[in-house]
Amino acid sequence: MNKIMIVEDEELICNELSQLLENNNYEAIILNDFKNALNEILEVLPDLILLDINIPFINGEALLQNLRKESNIPVIMVTSINSEMDEALSISYGADDYIIKPYNPNILLLRIGAVLKRTKTNYNTNGNELTYKELKFDFQKGIIKKDGIEIELTKNEMIIFSYLLNNQNKIVTRDELMTALWDNTYYVNENALTVNISRLRNKLKEIGYADAIDTRKGLGYILS
Amino acid sequence: MKIGAYFKDNLYKLLIFIVCYVFNLLIFFAFKVEKQVIISSSFLYIVCFLLILLIPYFRKKKFYDYLLANTLALDKSYLVLETLSKPEFYEGELLYQVLYEINKSMNENVRLIEEHLQDFKEYIEMWIHEVKIPLSTLVLISNNHKEQFDKKTKLQLKRLEDYVDQVLYYARSENAEKDYLIKEIDLSKVIKNVGLKNMDAILENKIDYIVENVSYKVLTDSKWLEFILGQIVNNSIKYKRNIDNSYIKISVQETQEETILIIEDNGIGIKNSDLKQVFDKSFTGENGRNINKSTGMGLFIAKNMCKKLGHKIDIESIYNEYTKVYITLAKNKYYDVLR
Repeated sequence: MNKIMIVEDEELICNELSQLLENNNYEAIILNDFKNALNEILEVLPDLILLDINIPFINGEALLQNLRKESNIPVIMVTSINSEMDEALSISYGADDYIIKPYNPNILLLRIGAVLKRTKTNYNTNGNELTYKELKFDFQKGIIKKDGIEIELTKNEMIIFSYLLNNQNKIVTRDELMTALWDNTYYVNENALTVNISRLRNKLKEIGYADAIDTRKGLGYILS
Repeated sequence: MKIGAYFKDNLYKLLIFIVCYVFNLLIFFAFKVEKQVIISSSFLYIVCFLLILLIPYFRKKKFYDYLLANTLALDKSYLVLETLSKPEFYEGELLYQVLYEINKSMNENVRLIEEHLQDFKEYIEMWIHEVKIPLSTLVLISNNHKEQFDKKTKLQLKRLEDYVDQVLYYARSENAEKDYLIKEIDLSKVIKNVGLKNMDAILENKIDYIVENVSYKVLTDSKWLEFILGQIVNNSIKYKRNIDNSYIKISVQETQEETILIIEDNGIGIKNSDLKQVFDKSFTGENGRNINKSTGMGLFIAKNMCKKLGHKIDIESIYNEYTKVYITLAKNKYYDVLR
């Protein structure tokens, strides 16, 4: 489980954010001591830091600069300052991404996933492959294979399958899938999502996993 | 300085001269002065008078002509004082000093207003950051407790967020200060972000969001362009027609000098009589009044921002058929100078 540290002084946001992260299989740690922020971070050694710019005692950007002298822990700046200048500055200090408050929680999760994937190659995978039971999913080539059978997936099917796979045994809402699709392509409507899911099911059936994706009425889908 | 007007202004001098001269002649005649003396002293009188009249004219002409011409030529005419050298005649010195004092007091006034404006802008920006904290908290809470908050909450929160953003960009676009950063960005990223932000509203309204090949590199501030595009897409969603195949289509045309971003929808369109004014401040038009959700600020701010970034924004529409917005982004040359 990846450890994510929340550096944010608003208590309510901290609590809700850590709940969101924990609901999505991350371990959330809240920074307590802003005076010794750097030491605390280096002690905990999280896999990723969500860093607000407006924090007490030390400015988020300065903290990032100090941190970069010591460590390469991925950092996503989370801030209410919506300006290209600040974003460029943060990135130049070594931030991996920059998200503006208020953010869509699904998008935040996608960005966290993307940064972790980029910075940690062993993130639940070896190289370009994900596995599901005996099935191998090569997302570079866009194919699923098992026992020598290879089936090609379309881009949308790939996005859905990898999202389900990363959240295996957990209910994934249509909303989350929709966000993941919009984040990767431009536009998918409700019907297209349904169609893509059923196509994906058929392809999984062909390869021997007929009931891999379950529909939970009113909630979403689950890959078990 | 026109010589005719100057003479007219100095007519009283001529009158005084003539009256004095007539009395003088009478005195000459009374004392039976010789003719030659009368003629020669008359000549002297007239030459003297002309010199008294003309020398000041030429002394002043240079200064006043310069003052007038420069005042008219400058686009900021209050800077005229800087172009003048101090005159060498008393009246001119007085005028110069008065102008100097007026200028000084105006500068102080302007500075005071600018300071107020700056304070106000800073307060607005700060307030926006403050208000975003509870807003973010609400977004997170509504997401973590889906059973208590449905999609409607999400959409209303999005509206709140949009209005807050509008204030922020209004404050930024109205200010003389440079608040943007122009660099090369990928148009497709901006378009994707706008779609992602408005995903719920687009899906809720069953609109097709069609994006054609838009992978072009352009020079702009991506945050600003995202806001501008957001305003246009927002309008398209707001003013959709009640038909089954509503769409918003985003495409790009490229020429040698420009990249043109085109946003087209098949919404209710804009009446011809309103079309010219849609970019005016607080203009709501018939659509705004009928639908009753309009502040009339969105497109005004968008236009202002385009102006600052050096982009052009145009709109084309046929009522009850379509609306097309064109954003024209210039290529390198212009920014090579700016950067």
